[in-house]
Amino acid sequence: MDGKLKRSLVCWLILLPFVVAGLFPFAVMGITALKPQNEVLNPTWWPSRLAFENFVTMWGATNFGPALLNSLIVSVVSTLAALLVSIPAAYALGRFRFRGQGAFRVFLIITQMLSPIVLVIGLFRLIAWAGLIDNVSAVSLVYGAFNIAFTVWMLQSYFATIPRDLEEAAWMEGASRWRTLVSVFLPLAVPAIVVTAIFAFINAWNEFVIALTMLRSQSSYTLPIQIFSLVAGRYTVEWHHVMAATFVATIPVAIAFAWLQRYLVRGLSVGAVK
Amino acid sequence: MTAERPILPYLMIAPSLCLALAIVVWPIVELSEIASHSVNRFGQLRDFVGLANFEALWNDPNFIASLWRTLVWTVCVVGGALLTAIPVSLVLNEDFHGRGLARVLVMLPWAVSLTMTAIVWRWALSGESGMLNSALMGMGIIGTNIQWLAEASTAFPMQIFIAVIVTVPFTVTILLGGLSAIPDDLYEAAALEGAGRWTMFRTITLPLLKPFLNIAMILNTIYVFNSFPIIWATTQGGPANSTDILVTYLYKMGFRLGKLGEASAVSLVMFAILLVFTLVYVRLSMRREA
Repeated sequence: MDGKLKRSLVCWLILLPFVVAGLFPFAVMGITALKPQNEVLNPTWWPSRLAFENFVTMWGATNFGPALLNSLIVSVVSTLAALLVSIPAAYALGRFRFRGQGAFRVFLIITQMLSPIVLVIGLFRLIAWAGLIDNVSAVSLVYGAFNIAFTVWMLQSYFATIPRDLEEAAWMEGASRWRTLVSVFLPLAVPAIVVTAIFAFINAWNEFVIALTMLRSQSSYTLPIQIFSLVAGRYTVEWHHVMAATFVATIPVAIAFAWLQRYLVRGLSVGAVK
Repeated sequence: MTAERPILPYLMIAPSLCLALAIVVWPIVELSEIASHSVNRFGQLRDFVGLANFEALWNDPNFIASLWRTLVWTVCVVGGALLTAIPVSLVLNEDFHGRGLARVLVMLPWAVSLTMTAIVWRWALSGESGMLNSALMGMGIIGTNIQWLAEASTAFPMQIFIAVIVTVPFTVTILLGGLSAIPDDLYEAAALEGAGRWTMFRTITLPLLKPFLNIAMILNTIYVFNSFPIIWATTQGGPANSTDILVTYLYKMGFRLGKLGEASAVSLVMFAILLVFTLVYVRLSMRREA
């Protein structure tokens, strides 16, 4: 017991510099968001009082509501689109052997490597050709497509941990492949699908470059672009509003992530090395 | 088992393949076409010019500078993140009080959008009212305010520092997966033979962790090479293009200056570099399977 106490102390001491650096922006964000407006430019750590009204005034001043709604639409639609096409693909990769399987994997890796920024001019022309600039649904579809590599990868490494015996037992009893899939495999896969969905959601929630180029009017901005527009190229920036907005946009995602991060260790590293 | 219905797996991968192809192949074809023509500001293609756009890049000192800076950026961020992530993941793999909390705290920067992180840092780094200056002065580390983002000599290292912090969580995740796969009895056997901690680390942990280190290094190289929001939201590549890397250079060329031909050429150069990384990655992962 005593040994463990000592070890804990040493461990925390080693982690301390990194944890402090990692949490510093959260502290700056929280404190600025709660400072009264006349103290914002004063770099103190302790505001004279907690200005909760910042969150209320921020909502109107920053166009937060519509941007939040756009972010929700984009994230939900793109996650659903990615899952819809990724679940069968991951199942096929895990449960079948077929010609071109290796090539398909390599192709997925390549799409994973090409972040949207490299293709942004080509993508812009594609979207412009289709007449869908400033269209939230078009952005969702692009996010969904870029998420496929990640979702197939995660799902496949989780699907591999679902024992095949259960499906085989169902076939023996005469269930069709489809029936087995729906009533045996998918229920077992639900946790994996939920975890993957949440990470795909966070990816879309945080994306910047595509939104910056494809969304042109404030009514279609997602949160990162809306908040960026509050600081980019402006002479005066209302930092207490910006930080309050950042805070509200960040905390729910951070909580979801804190709760789920342990599932990532298995999914990502197993997927990466297999 | 699969012989009777060989079409099924193809039907299952087809939708994902089509969607992914559409957003990768079409843009690449477009980019090649734009890069080999002269283009006006409105994106209309004029004459075929062959490699002239690439030549123009080669003669642009800002492009060459951005190329070098991208190299420095990628090497420093990936190297810094690996050097930080190794001790952090070793510690997180130990059994100690509050490990669950420590893991959450270490992973947290990953959950936040890079744009938001960069905006918060931009505010924290501001010269007069930035809280980093006030924190450092409070601790007696600096005497006067530093204008962090006003010059490349302080802005760029700071951007590297921010990028390292946000890259560590992903790296730790990969390494933790690797560490959990190392069987305990290896260490027990080594301890019986009287090996110290450092010897164990060098002869057991490091060799067994190597595939995971490779993967982390290659994936990080790709992500960092492509990373746009940190630099864009803190300095937009300024002052005077002195913190530009290829992605910000590309964005300025294409969407600020309207030089679509040259911007497309930058895209293709980046694509070529990334393809080399990808091939290395595929080679590495295939070799292990064989």
